[in-house]
Amino acid sequence: MAASRRWRLAWQGGCRLLHTEPSVAPQPPSSLYPPVVASHTAKSKSAKRRRLEYFYQRVHEAPSIEEKLRIYGCLQRLKYVVYPQTFSLNADRWYQSFTKTVFVPGLPPAGAEPAGPDLSELRSLACDALLQEHFYQHKRKRSLPYQEQEHIPAPFLTQLVSSLTAALGSHNPLLRVSCLDLKPQVNFYWERGETVVTRGYRTGRIDPVRFQIDDKPHVQLRVPKQLPEFVPLDYSVPGEVPVVNHTPDKLPMFKRQYDNKVFIGSKVADPCSYGHTQFHLIPDKLKRERLLKADLADQIEVVHRANGIASLFAWTAAQAMYQGFWCEADVTRPFVSQAVITDGKYFAFFCYQLNTLALTVKADQNNSRKNICWGTESKPLYEAVEGSNVKGFNDEILFQIVQFLLNRPEQL
Amino acid sequence: MASGKVYYPLYQLGNPHLRIFRPDFFMKLVRPGVPQPEDTVQFHISMRMTRLDVKNYLEKIYNVPVAAVRTRIQYGANNKRNYKRQKVKIPDYKVAYVQLGKGQTFEFPNLFPEKEEASEAGSIEDHYKQYMESERQRQTDDPRQGGVPSWFRF
Repeated sequence: MAASRRWRLAWQGGCRLLHTEPSVAPQPPSSLYPPVVASHTAKSKSAKRRRLEYFYQRVHEAPSIEEKLRIYGCLQRLKYVVYPQTFSLNADRWYQSFTKTVFVPGLPPAGAEPAGPDLSELRSLACDALLQEHFYQHKRKRSLPYQEQEHIPAPFLTQLVSSLTAALGSHNPLLRVSCLDLKPQVNFYWERGETVVTRGYRTGRIDPVRFQIDDKPHVQLRVPKQLPEFVPLDYSVPGEVPVVNHTPDKLPMFKRQYDNKVFIGSKVADPCSYGHTQFHLIPDKLKRERLLKADLADQIEVVHRANGIASLFAWTAAQAMYQGFWCEADVTRPFVSQAVITDGKYFAFFCYQLNTLALTVKADQNNSRKNICWGTESKPLYEAVEGSNVKGFNDEILFQIVQFLLNRPEQL
Repeated sequence: MASGKVYYPLYQLGNPHLRIFRPDFFMKLVRPGVPQPEDTVQFHISMRMTRLDVKNYLEKIYNVPVAAVRTRIQYGANNKRNYKRQKVKIPDYKVAYVQLGKGQTFEFPNLFPEKEEASEAGSIEDHYKQYMESERQRQTDDPRQGGVPSWFRF
């Protein structure tokens, strides 16, 4: 159109329209090309580093804890399955090296002793539970093979824990808001150390060594508030983490590939997201009598220790992950849990303090913190049950269980 | 527990246990190809032995405390062929990994250590050694040549 052609000629003359505002001249770009970074898909160390950085960035920027756990464990690869209750010989040394734990015999230094409740009431509760299973209740004359622990000690332990927890509710307000789980699942997935892949299409590549624990404690107590720490976060423990220079295959430990699960016994949204105490029952194949018959008397304590270290590490580390910490974002406060491991008659007590989650090779380079596990030897709660009498009841074991259950943060 | 095909009497609760005197197969202690933990010893055993047999064998005959035994069968490949183009099978064998009890450890010894024989002065070996040493020194090139062979000429 002629009018628009005339407008265009006037515009080409360079005259400015009256209603425009003076605009800032555009900045020249600092670089004409995009940033030079390593390849994303090449088979090179820099590409691997870039992929790892991208993965860490995705986990750091995850909007919620569930999303963080999902991204952390989305890649499935062959991993070693760690069984807390294992027949392997000297498993506790191996488990300490996998979890960077120092084992300290005895119990941690106790804080201010609270006013103890009346032990006679609690003793009568324990004896009632014992006699109910051993004498009063009519059970099958002979239990099935490899199910003797389910026959008597399992219901006794459940009854003992639930009745003691209920009775001590008046002394420990934390127990009133706690959650008692029966046969819950506790899972944890982590990486420690590096190895070279020997078989398959990924031969020759350097891979982290992956582990998974799937534990089923008999009874566990979860609380909404965290227990106080036993020692400060950077406390230097007198003791060393044992170093084992063999692959975990030699333990023996076997690899499987399945879901990488991190679970404390309840989902993330549950208010009781901190752990208090776990109670484990030794299975039939690892009972004291069987080990003594097979001339493995020194492995009795090893079984207890391995169970304590593995189960408590999995639980405390899963609690830490539920709070948003992981191996690249190490814990800023120690996570603490307790466990009682028993076979119905003998009780052993364990306390665990998680000081570090950074167990991968990259995160462990300048990490001087170690996890600590305190543990006692197993002692009998009673000598024998004759008819309707419990002979030789040991008050110290009951006192120790009560002390464990009365553990609470200082504010309460 | 014999190395051929034998039928043993059926065991029922209360029967006397089977007792074998002078078993007719043997265990061979071998050096592990992959480094094993200190308490683990590796054996090649007969294909018919079980881990219980291995445990009893070592405990009763050699008084070695055994804590645990694990076995596996190594398959020998069937790929090689002879001059008639027939397949030649490498025999299979069973490997037992024995973990010793009571805190004992075992390391497979070096069976062929290099030994320095010190010969007496004036003997024939000493003269022979000195002669061979002098001949070797005569055969080497002048060190001033710097590794260049003596036939090289500009």
